[in-house]
Amino acid sequence: MTPTQQLKNVIDNIEKVIIGKREVAELSVVAMLAGGHVLLEDVPGVGKTMLVRALAKSVGAEFKRIQFTPDLLPSDVVGVSIYNPKEMEFNFRPGPIMGNLVLADEINRTSPKTQSALLEAMEESSVTVDGVTMQIPKPFFVMATQNPIEYEGTYPLPEAQLDRFLIKVKMGYPTEREEMEVLSRVQQAAPIEELTSVMTLEELKALQKEVKSVHVDETIRSYIVELAGRTRNESYVYLGASPRGSIALMRASQAYAMLQGRDYVIPDDVQHLVIPVFSHRIIMRPEARYEGITAEEIIERIVIRTKVPVQRLVEQ
Amino acid sequence: MNSISKQPLFMAILYLLAFFLLAEWLSPVIELTSTGHRTVFLVFIGAGLLLSYLKCPWWISGPLKVLYMLWAVGYIFLENSFFGEGLWMTLTEDFRKNFSALADQNWNGTTDIFRTILFFVLLWMAVYLLHYWVGFRSSIFLFYALTVIYIAVLDTFTTYPGNAAIIRVMVIGLVLAGLLHLARWSRRHGFSVNSEKALFFIGPLVVMVGIAAITAMYLPKAGPVWPDPVPYIVSYSGQGGSGTAGNGVGRIGYGVDDSQLGGSFVGDDSPVFTAEVTDGQYWKVESRDTYTGKGWEMSGEAEAVTVYTDGETLATDFEVGPEEDADRAAVSMQQSFPFALYPYGLESLAMDEGASYEYNAADQRIETFRNGEALEPTDYAAAYSEPAFSLSALRATTREDLAGLSLEFDRYKQLPSDLPERVRELANEITADAGSVYDMTAAIERYFGSNGFEYSQTDIPMPDDNQDYVDQFLFETKRGYCDNFSTSMVVMLRSLDIPARWVKGFNEGEEIAAGSDLYQITNNNAHSWVEAYMPGVGWMVFEPTIGFDGGSDIDFDLDVDTTEPDTPEVPERPEVEPPLPEEGDTGSASEDDSFGEALAAFVDKHKGKLLLVPVILLVIALLLFWQRRKWLPKVLIPYYRRKKGESDSFEKAYRRLLKQLDRYGIRRKQGETLRSYASYVDSSFGTQDMSRLTKAYEALVYGGKVSSEEWEELRESWENLINRTRG
Repeated sequence: MTPTQQLKNVIDNIEKVIIGKREVAELSVVAMLAGGHVLLEDVPGVGKTMLVRALAKSVGAEFKRIQFTPDLLPSDVVGVSIYNPKEMEFNFRPGPIMGNLVLADEINRTSPKTQSALLEAMEESSVTVDGVTMQIPKPFFVMATQNPIEYEGTYPLPEAQLDRFLIKVKMGYPTEREEMEVLSRVQQAAPIEELTSVMTLEELKALQKEVKSVHVDETIRSYIVELAGRTRNESYVYLGASPRGSIALMRASQAYAMLQGRDYVIPDDVQHLVIPVFSHRIIMRPEARYEGITAEEIIERIVIRTKVPVQRLVEQ
Repeated sequence: MNSISKQPLFMAILYLLAFFLLAEWLSPVIELTSTGHRTVFLVFIGAGLLLSYLKCPWWISGPLKVLYMLWAVGYIFLENSFFGEGLWMTLTEDFRKNFSALADQNWNGTTDIFRTILFFVLLWMAVYLLHYWVGFRSSIFLFYALTVIYIAVLDTFTTYPGNAAIIRVMVIGLVLAGLLHLARWSRRHGFSVNSEKALFFIGPLVVMVGIAAITAMYLPKAGPVWPDPVPYIVSYSGQGGSGTAGNGVGRIGYGVDDSQLGGSFVGDDSPVFTAEVTDGQYWKVESRDTYTGKGWEMSGEAEAVTVYTDGETLATDFEVGPEEDADRAAVSMQQSFPFALYPYGLESLAMDEGASYEYNAADQRIETFRNGEALEPTDYAAAYSEPAFSLSALRATTREDLAGLSLEFDRYKQLPSDLPERVRELANEITADAGSVYDMTAAIERYFGSNGFEYSQTDIPMPDDNQDYVDQFLFETKRGYCDNFSTSMVVMLRSLDIPARWVKGFNEGEEIAAGSDLYQITNNNAHSWVEAYMPGVGWMVFEPTIGFDGGSDIDFDLDVDTTEPDTPEVPERPEVEPPLPEEGDTGSASEDDSFGEALAAFVDKHKGKLLLVPVILLVIALLLFWQRRKWLPKVLIPYYRRKKGESDSFEKAYRRLLKQLDRYGIRRKQGETLRSYASYVDSSFGTQDMSRLTKAYEALVYGGKVSSEEWEELRESWENLINRTRG
């Protein structure tokens, strides 16, 4: 089975549970392949949790869930060392972060202290408790959800930490027909229970390795850099995409190219991913917010204005 | 990374152009200072640039140049063998003299040898500078600008004719500057420019410069905004009074250059000669046969020169008149000319024993020689008898006779191709009622007597660049002097196919004392008139200028009345010399560069057509460019079929297709990817071809996959698409 086919199977599997959200499923798979993490931003009840569970089941990963609350402590996330009086020593009790696939629900409702503990673990793929560093088992994939509606009692994620997410996805409501389909499916039993895995974790790891060998031509690299550079010069933008953003866009594009059955990246891949990758990395000026201009619109505008490279760079 | 300035051929061209540019500096210096040995200096700068081009180290090129200088000094001044002992002696002696002269600040005391060496050193520096500009700086603009200013200044203030030089300089300079720009550009951007790419640049550059030069040459030029500053400067600096009066005002006198007629002039009563004759005579010097629209020139057609000895009977175009009218004129020259002024009906000349006379049938000029050298006669006698013409014979000339004239008269019927039609119409109108050729000619001769023509020497405008001299006089100014009248008459006669020529010389002058038979002829008497050929009779003199009476004598053997023209009183009767007369021999000038002149004449004659050629080419090129969408596929398909083996041909072909689609009207937006563009193209053509091609192209460009075989399979799709764009 080709890598593409394997990935398609995963996405098809998810689609059995999440109706009409193939795009979101694809992006989640892309992020997972690229070794990044996903920020799901949407209102409650559109299936964010279900998406993560379906993904976990499809790849046979251990699924852990952390419900973030204002009183959650970092140790609740990473784990805690407990004194064992019998053996006269501290035993480490791993927290929920020590899983392959972690759903961090409503991440913006917890204190920055706890948030940073999670984000550090995401970035380093390891946790440090009482001076002891422990590797998180690979593959490690975090999907954090964020509720854009409730502002009361929330702690918006700092910009530097948003940057840690490879892509940000919005679920959106299903269409009427899709919603009816959802209803009919859940009438008897929850379809999630019937899901079986279509890929092993070992296979996933192999794919993650293979993605890195997808060819990114110099023209594509320059295109990515050009796009990132332009976000820094927009008048409505306070802070543009960082070089980390460029790297993210390249990695995501590689994964997407593999998903499309190519071993090289084309500008279409970049264009497809530039909004999910860049939108949460751009901080708009207040006046943009007053005028109702979103980061997505700015990026779209940049894409339209940026020349797509259609020939090889002149050999020098 | 191979900059174009490393290509030997390219650099050779640059140095060659630099050589020509420097030669443009050298030529006027040599010409104006009468230096001579132009080749020696040209070889020096040529060899200097060659050594620079070959990157010859200074310790070789320096001694070589010094040796050349020494050789040149020996060759020019000492005419002795190569580096003979005398050379060293002379040089050391010479240098001692010169340094002491320099020490005394006695600049005139320096010798020619010393100056020559200094000149060589100067040239050496110039060569080095050019080498620096071309080889290192790749920037010639400063030198180019200086050259243009230099030529312009020389053209204005000296006798150096800069007309051709400025065009040469412009062409050489622009090409050189363009090439150097290419070299600079290639160096700055680190692009390698192979010969094919270079041709893409150089081809259009040369064509553009060529078109610009040709257009500039033939476009009408505005007249000077300010009057010529030279006369003012000359008079201000106290050197005036030598000749030219400036502002197109000529000095009267016998001139040799008639190529630019028109303009006013001032009188000059300096004596030319005295003649003792029974009746005042017109003194002929020569005639001209080619009218250019601005003035007169000689056609340069070689004709037999007959040599006569002193006292021998000469055969001119005019028969000697009846014996009873025979007379002997004694001419005493007060100005020197190397030719004889002679009355009509000349029989023989008597100067001195050894004199010989060369009668040139082309311009009827009689040049005087003694022992093979030009002789400027002082006193001589001319035996003549004024010819008379039978009126009955003249009346018998018919228009039909004109058609039967032999070919040798063709040059007397020449007219410029751009002669305004109204001149012809006027001539036909004047002669409508005339029966014979003579009547026609006489009618035109008389025409000026009335019809509002006015004799004047002042306030006569020069014709504009695009204006015909005769047309201006006949229809616009109606004011003028002998040149206007005589030229107009010749041109009108020729428009009627009557052979005619324009004659120059002096009129009878003033009698010194009444009844003395001694006439004083001054520069004011320089004059021009008309000779016309009457079929069956011969050449005849006509005098159209009002106020003059010098026509041929008519033998009234018919009982009819010939109306003579009204003759208003006119105080002065001059002929004009152009503002800047050329010095030197008049006869041989045309033979020296007959090819150049023939070419110039050809170009001049077909000016309009030649100008049209680049215009038409330009229009065709523009049309082709606009319509390239229609014809380009037809060229591209066979081209890429031929190129199927080459690895990058698919890439190029695909990009061609993109451009062609763009011209067709399917535009790719700036941020649009090839893939989405391809699906749009396919949806509008109803094909799958573009997506197929695009996929392959993506693999090539973004995937770095070279595939020359695929192109074979894809070519069909490509041809299909490119053919659709023609519709």
